[in-house]
Amino acid sequence: MENVIQTIAYGIVIGALYGLIGLGLGLIMGIMKFLNIAHGTFIMLGGYVSFWLFTLWGIDPYLTIPLVIVAMFLIGLLLYKLTLSPLLKLPHIGMRISNSLLITFGVIYVLDNAMTLVWKADVRTIIASYRGEALNLFGTRVPYTGLAGLGIAVLATVTLYFILSRTYFGKHVRAATQDAEAASLCGVNVQKTYLISCGIATALAGIAGVVIVSSYSVTPTGGLSWLLIGIVVMVLAGEGNINAILPAGIILGLVESASVFVVPIQYRQAIALLIFIIVLMFRPQGLFTKRG
Amino acid sequence: MLEISHVDVYYGDLQALWDVSLTIGDGEIVTLVGSNGAGKSTILKTISGLLKPKTGSISFDGMCLDKLPAHRIAGLGISMVPEGRRLFPQMSVLENLEMGASRRVARRVRHNTIGWIYELFPVLRQRAKQEANTLSGGEQQMLAIGRALMSHPKLLMIDEMSLGLSPLLVQEISRVIKDINKSRRIAVFLVEQDVNMALSIADRGYIVENGRIQGQGTARALLGSDRIKEAYLGISPAGKGS
Repeated sequence: MENVIQTIAYGIVIGALYGLIGLGLGLIMGIMKFLNIAHGTFIMLGGYVSFWLFTLWGIDPYLTIPLVIVAMFLIGLLLYKLTLSPLLKLPHIGMRISNSLLITFGVIYVLDNAMTLVWKADVRTIIASYRGEALNLFGTRVPYTGLAGLGIAVLATVTLYFILSRTYFGKHVRAATQDAEAASLCGVNVQKTYLISCGIATALAGIAGVVIVSSYSVTPTGGLSWLLIGIVVMVLAGEGNINAILPAGIILGLVESASVFVVPIQYRQAIALLIFIIVLMFRPQGLFTKRG
Repeated sequence: MLEISHVDVYYGDLQALWDVSLTIGDGEIVTLVGSNGAGKSTILKTISGLLKPKTGSISFDGMCLDKLPAHRIAGLGISMVPEGRRLFPQMSVLENLEMGASRRVARRVRHNTIGWIYELFPVLRQRAKQEANTLSGGEQQMLAIGRALMSHPKLLMIDEMSLGLSPLLVQEISRVIKDINKSRRIAVFLVEQDVNMALSIADRGYIVENGRIQGQGTARALLGSDRIKEAYLGISPAGKGS
């Protein structure tokens, strides 16, 4: 029984991180129909920024988040201006996914090599004083870094929900998503909403990077496995269904950690991909989207 | 107020408009009549900035619109109700209206403006919380016009208002259009297939065929002309009837 509760706790904690990873990816996909496969690489970059602030000035990794948000937001603006915005000229919206995939694949190469130059190919991680310590809840151990990750993921999701549903900017984003041309006729600068959304999505990648560097580790090429998780989460949630991303992440985390009861632990990563295939075969619209 | 002079417009390599010139004065109701594919919607899209003229120029209150993107043109006081309404389907009626007031100036007074829209179309008040895609066709058209009015435009352009609506609704909505034109001096540019209705509320009209302006005149003169009677109203001129 204790084993089961421990597994659930672990599943929720890791699942919240999965949700956080899917959030930025799903935001760009939902709004602009771009598949940013450099998202994992931006996560690593965010982790490095935090790592730098920690090693150079001894700033606690979680306190680096505001700085990481600002830095990654600006990088997101660059990403949009330099690589994604030219794709809006494509004649069909359906061509955006494949072309953005190609372009952001190039971005991965550039960033991978740049990060290797700056931070070497070594595995980097932040060992804060509380790293490895855990909260003991009736025999269930939850690491503090995991709890922090859970809190950050929930906070990020709630904040994003609030921005999209309550602010004028959020309304502009939703309008541009539903009908970009009609939005521009209403006086909405669609390009600008795209630009800022791209900044927000990249900042979200940076936040995920902070969580990862303080519970796991970062390497220049380490983004790929996190990217895969993010894509699985996005598909589980259903395209454009941003509110369902955190629940989808937690479901994935729970299933993945429960799988150790059935299959050996080294198959855990394969479980995510198996779920991915099953969902695409039977519910391609995602678990949470009602309309087919 | 609005002046289009000698405009040529292309879709890629295909020319859609040839040497189009027209004007809309302050507080006027002007209609554009013509058959399907004649270029009526193209003219509206060019004014609103969704298409750009290759030659010629468009000015509004002395301001050149040729280089401005659509959202800037909307900000100058030109509102368009696009063909097929183009509401934001997953946003509520209220949110759709709020979207119409994206300009800062309009945003500040939006609560009053919404009250005014609800007076014009009382059914929208009852539907305020509903998603736009749950509305009937007539309600959607009212919402689309309401959304366009939210920015307090000087010029309201409506593309195919009557499409798919019952004659009673068309009458109701055209009464409202006439009313806002009179009470608020909002100029209206009406693109219609229902030529009879359009000419009955308009001051002036233009006839467009094959991407060219082929005729113009006061609404009364056009209604009486043989050309309009024959081509659009299905009335054969006297003496030539079969």
